[in-house]
Amino acid sequence: MVLSAKTGEDTRNGRRSRGPSPNGHAQADSSDDENTVPVDKIRVGRDYQAVCPEIIPEPLRKPELVADRALLVWSPTTDIPDSKLEDYITLAKEKYGYNGEQALGMLFWHKHDLERAVLDLANFTPFPDEWSVEDKVLFEQAFQFHGKSFHRIRQMLPDKSIASLVKYYYSWKKTRSRTSLMDKQARKLSTPREDGAPSEAGSEGGSNEESDHEEKKWNVHRGIRRSSGSPPRTKSSDENGKQGEGGACSNCGVNCTVTHTTPKGIMCTSCFQHWRRTGTLRPTSGPTGGKRGTPLGVRHKRKPPRGMYINHDDLAAFATGNAGAIMLKAMDREVESLQRQIQQNKQVVSSLKRKHSDSIEDLRPNNDNASSRINSRWTNEELLLAVQGVRKYGKDFKSIAEVLGNKTEHHVRTFFVNYRKRYNLDNVLKDYERDNGPTLNEDGNTGTTAAMATNDDKIIEVIDDANENGDVICVSPTPKKETTKGAKTTPPALVQNAK
Amino acid sequence: MAMQPHSKKRVCYYYDSDIGNYYYGQGHPMKPHRIRMTHNLLLNYGLYRKMEIYRPHKATAEEMTKFHSDDYIRFLRSIRPDNMSEYNKQMQRFNVGEDCPVFDGLYEFCQLSAGGSVAAAVKLNKQASDICINWGGGLHHAKKSEASASGFCYVNDIVLGILELLKYHQRVLYIDIDVHHGDGVEEAFYTTDRVMTVSFHKYGEYFPGTGDLRDIGAGKGKYYAVNIPLRDGMDDESYESIFVPIISKVMETFQPSAVVHQCGADSLTGDRLGCFNLTVRGHGKCVEFVKKYNLPFMMVGGGGYTIRNVSRAWTYETSVALGVEIANELPYNDYFEYFGPDFKLHISPSNMANQNTTEYLEKIKTRLFENLRMLPHAPGVQVQTIPEDAINEESDNEDKIDKDERLPQKDLDKRIAPDNEFSDSEDEGEGGRRDHRSYKGRKRPRLEKGNENKESGDKKHIKDELKSEKGEDKEDSKSIAESESKDTGPLP
Repeated sequence: MVLSAKTGEDTRNGRRSRGPSPNGHAQADSSDDENTVPVDKIRVGRDYQAVCPEIIPEPLRKPELVADRALLVWSPTTDIPDSKLEDYITLAKEKYGYNGEQALGMLFWHKHDLERAVLDLANFTPFPDEWSVEDKVLFEQAFQFHGKSFHRIRQMLPDKSIASLVKYYYSWKKTRSRTSLMDKQARKLSTPREDGAPSEAGSEGGSNEESDHEEKKWNVHRGIRRSSGSPPRTKSSDENGKQGEGGACSNCGVNCTVTHTTPKGIMCTSCFQHWRRTGTLRPTSGPTGGKRGTPLGVRHKRKPPRGMYINHDDLAAFATGNAGAIMLKAMDREVESLQRQIQQNKQVVSSLKRKHSDSIEDLRPNNDNASSRINSRWTNEELLLAVQGVRKYGKDFKSIAEVLGNKTEHHVRTFFVNYRKRYNLDNVLKDYERDNGPTLNEDGNTGTTAAMATNDDKIIEVIDDANENGDVICVSPTPKKETTKGAKTTPPALVQNAK
Repeated sequence: MAMQPHSKKRVCYYYDSDIGNYYYGQGHPMKPHRIRMTHNLLLNYGLYRKMEIYRPHKATAEEMTKFHSDDYIRFLRSIRPDNMSEYNKQMQRFNVGEDCPVFDGLYEFCQLSAGGSVAAAVKLNKQASDICINWGGGLHHAKKSEASASGFCYVNDIVLGILELLKYHQRVLYIDIDVHHGDGVEEAFYTTDRVMTVSFHKYGEYFPGTGDLRDIGAGKGKYYAVNIPLRDGMDDESYESIFVPIISKVMETFQPSAVVHQCGADSLTGDRLGCFNLTVRGHGKCVEFVKKYNLPFMMVGGGGYTIRNVSRAWTYETSVALGVEIANELPYNDYFEYFGPDFKLHISPSNMANQNTTEYLEKIKTRLFENLRMLPHAPGVQVQTIPEDAINEESDNEDKIDKDERLPQKDLDKRIAPDNEFSDSEDEGEGGRRDHRSYKGRKRPRLEKGNENKESGDKKHIKDELKSEKGEDKEDSKSIAESESKDTGPLP
């Protein structure tokens, strides 16, 4: 498709232009066995159409005699509750190193008999990871060299099938994709200024003899590891002048005993060899050192946390020793199970959230019910509520309306005007002011009341000196804070004035 | 067609753990690994345990030659990356090399992909399952013999599956939502009225170049190929606005008894090769819609070149098939890192412009409806228009069909005009095909049956129809032979 678009552009365009009906050229095609041009018309003829089988009349059908032509490896069961199945899989995974599919396969083998399957788990161990550390290192090297030509890679790993290489590649790729971002960064940074090539730890070459002092300095000056192209050296260069002793590799940032000076900076043996072979900087993984002047930020994160040092001896132990591999494997498994839990928890959270948001509407008191519909008539109960509302919220009609549920702000406002005398609302309001006005609002209501509280002085003033037209509030000297409030309190004035 | 809301279905799923290990080559966009990613996601979502899981057998050469030519399959079986040079000529002939490279394990890959679809069809025939899924299949570009390999496809598992279904089903519907035209399947069934192919695809300066609105089938198969050419940037809404009415109409008029759905995921937004703007949800909606018809249903994969989205879509569609809701947060899985940075199942569309205007889609829809009205099933067609056939059918139904009298299919094939029989279209109006037998398509005696079908739809009925079909087949093939001898000259 893309490929063919690339390779066959002209031909196709040519063919396209020949006519709107794509099947007018069968002749040319079929007469020429060597025709390489991909067809772009539907061809008709015995060379092209499938021969439909006749339908088998129902009485002659013998479906039970037809082979399934596939092997059943799992069938669902309703006998085992999901949670139990989950536990079983987790057990198989974490204790015996099965994968989910193998665990279910075992259960199916035992005809969904959970207990027997559990007992049998220990009797089989899934194939151990047939990739040894050496294999992995070899693969990585081969990959650096040959890219995704698995045939070539295979020459370096003759005991592996292509299939196995492909499989490993895809599981390895994800870990590499983490670093590929750094590769990009590395390229970006190395282009403008060769000297301060970003450094990343993780080289396997050279041993670590550097002083603690150096390492610490590196850590302390996070952003500034090196002042110029010449890295700090502990000793002078030897023999051919190309090889230095000690110092930090400018590519991978690891301190090592033997360094090589190159136009790209001082390098450790691994980086040097890679550079010599490929002419590019060895992509590395691990924490980076920084470069002067770059703001701390994203790159900052790629350094080891404070107090953690990269020690080549440890790295070497990990890379060579068997113990390291085992340790790493255990850690990997732990990380994996933790990640699994994280994702599971996320799923639970989101499903709860959804349920919550779905059902909250039902639980909300005044929603959609007949009673909750806006109604301008006041029942006695509502009148009482409204009076209490004034007691509680003052002239915050909106809050009162919300409490009532079936009245709009406007309704409440009208109520306030109409019933002011009858219920002695002015007194009620005074009570409210006494409690809420000068003192801070203890209800802790958000928005309006908070605004009120901060501007209580003004409000009181306003309300005090102008009960009749308690709207002067817009004159408030702090309009910004008042706006929310203002919006609420100004309109009543208009209404009131109008009346 | 009774449409029912989701009911729990028996779902069978076909997967071979080796399929992810085949590798088309460096830089090649087709990555069988996506099938393994899908599988792993299914497993970790807990969907795996809700289906029957099958490991398909490897399709034999014999099975594959039910559609493909012997030459071609023999060629596929023998070619390897290390002996390619000996096959130069054949590689050219079969179009193997560039888009369709020779890679390690090529033949096995084809066997597994085809084996899955054939096994799925067998399962459906046995009525041992409601929905069969083979994400390893869906290779819809592969052709029968000349220039067979095309668009990353070598063996057309879909055709093989449909051929299997045709043993038990009079009419099979094929729906293709890949961004590319399903030309291989369309070509395979271009002249039959037992398979209707419906393909929604990007058309215009786009691979494979076929799929014009005016390509509607030929011979008996006229009006049985439905092409919906679309422009860049199809979004969920537009897609649904054309998919639902067309499929509804097709179901109503064609009345299939089984459906094969190619779920090519290159119609998703952000695909490496595609140019549509569908989300996983919009893509899955198509499956959901077709599933509601409660017909034996086979789902196969297809294109899809941004593999993280492919596995997202196919996982979601598996959950749709199962009628299970799954969380938007992806479970941890072997390829978790591929799904960053959000690690969610659903994706958002891009802001690309949708070049399919409502008017354009309306226009297409109207045109296609007109074509569909030509089907004998269509309620709009008057009963009187097909009196002879109705009579024929009866007489056929009596006992006149003697199986032995009929020519063996092989012989019939030989009598089909080889190449240019229907194809010299220059003498016709734009896009139309010269089609000597086009009237045949309308003569089919299915009208009354169709109406009955709507009510009962039971098998006895189909059986009756089958008989009549047979009789007709015979007649039709004779007429093919006749028209051939009359109208088409020998090939140059």
